[in-house]
Amino acid sequence: MTKFHTGDGRTHIESQLMRESLQDKSVVRRTHSEREYQILPDVVLVGIGGQSIFDRGRDALLPLVEELSQARTKHRMVLGVGGGTRVRHTLAIACDLGLPTGGIAQLVGAMEECNAIFLNALLAKHGSIVMQREHFWELPLYLSTGMLPIVISIPPYHFWEPPPEAGPLPMHGSDFGLFIHAEVLGMERIIFVKDEDGLYDKDPKKHSDARRIEKTTLAQLLERMPDELIVDKQLFECWRTARHVKRVQIVNGLERGMLSRALAGEDVGTVIVKE
Amino acid sequence: MERKTIESQLAGHALTTAADDLPYDGVPMMPDAKVIKIGGQSIMDRGRAALFPLIEEIAAAKERHMIFIGAGGGTRARHIYWIASDLEMPTGVLAALGGYVPMQNARMLQMLLARHGGIYVMHDDFEKLPLYFRLGCIPIMTGMPPFGYWEKPSEEGRIPPNRTDAGVYLAAEALGARRVIFVKDEDGLYADDPKKKPGVELIRRIGARELIARDLPDLIVERVVLEYLTRARYTHEVQVVNGLERGALTRALEGEDVGTIIYQD
Repeated sequence: MTKFHTGDGRTHIESQLMRESLQDKSVVRRTHSEREYQILPDVVLVGIGGQSIFDRGRDALLPLVEELSQARTKHRMVLGVGGGTRVRHTLAIACDLGLPTGGIAQLVGAMEECNAIFLNALLAKHGSIVMQREHFWELPLYLSTGMLPIVISIPPYHFWEPPPEAGPLPMHGSDFGLFIHAEVLGMERIIFVKDEDGLYDKDPKKHSDARRIEKTTLAQLLERMPDELIVDKQLFECWRTARHVKRVQIVNGLERGMLSRALAGEDVGTVIVKE
Repeated sequence: MERKTIESQLAGHALTTAADDLPYDGVPMMPDAKVIKIGGQSIMDRGRAALFPLIEEIAAAKERHMIFIGAGGGTRARHIYWIASDLEMPTGVLAALGGYVPMQNARMLQMLLARHGGIYVMHDDFEKLPLYFRLGCIPIMTGMPPFGYWEKPSEEGRIPPNRTDAGVYLAAEALGARRVIFVKDEDGLYADDPKKKPGVELIRRIGARELIARDLPDLIVERVVLEYLTRARYTHEVQVVNGLERGALTRALEGEDVGTIIYQD
């Protein structure tokens, strides 16, 4: 039986957190447990780069679409897309105008949504569907009917984007958004499809002596974070406190078969694991 | 297989590292807006005894100020967090569920303020605030930010780090407001929970960095708000006032330093 408590002018519902301050460290600690329920554990999240893949048009996209259409019979996948060069243009104009960070965050999702629609048009005959955020809990339905959901990657922080650590640009981009999407649903694997063979110690487009990192752990990566990253830095920051995501892999989508091999569990590209 | 790129200062860059030296001269949207948060456990759960005098104060102040209200959660949110923790749900699920109670509270506030122009606003209506202000309305919204399932897991425990204090603070920052007012049931910030430890020190004015460094066991504002305060471009002050004390909110709205001011240091 639920009990109500009064007597201090407030009406409380009996619970372990009743009357407590949720800022109190000892109270917060009581909500901790080693385990956490995994909502959709066997699903792989595949993020397709905006600038790296989409902005290259059909030559890059059509082979990937074919790979995805074959892979969907073997793997339960959720797809996400980046926004690419239009996002960068949006940011450049918005910065020039002096728009607030939250306002900039509000703008960028639109460019990404266009890529989700492109991908959906290409994959529709294979059962793809763009998942609107309000339809979050339809994801299991899509998956159990064998569909291929495409999610909006940018997290819905919008005007509420926290002040960035430096500069005016929002910190929570589409790679981070996909990561957190996977994490909240208890997914263990994320594959990012980009236009490089993986993660390098510096930008391989600018430095010919850049070295690819083949396999590493999150702890090692956090210790020696490359200055230029092919995925959002926030992703790694957030991964530190995450409970479920075990493996983040970055593969070259311009090379045929790489995505399929990654989906099959092969260590191609760069593999980062959390131990 | 070339990239079809639009020329811009950021073209070709990884967004994670590109923009540090980008020229930027910020323009605040509505620097004169007064952003208020009405506490959940501290005010709403007390019912009419606490709320009716505050409604009167807000109605009177509305003639002089553009007031935007965010609602807190309270005991029902705590009950949700407790059940969700018991079920070992992820933080993002707690954040999504935790949004329902402040939404109810915002709707309650709207009903009470309707005759004075109270209007319930959703996250997606944020861009309509200028219209509501111009019509003399008092827009009221859930204090919870829209992060929901996309909330980050916290270091320890599973309570979402960004709750209604953070949401209202971030809304103020987006508007470019200089100060945000949190209406609670204490005279301000204490060195520990005054409900459990009477006689504990009341801090009138303190810098956010200094407060973080003091690493107090308990706080009257969410911890992330202090972090945001150190980095914010516009909202450089958080004011905590006692909503149970007649006139304190009105004085705060007039710009008086009642209660506690936590500032960007």
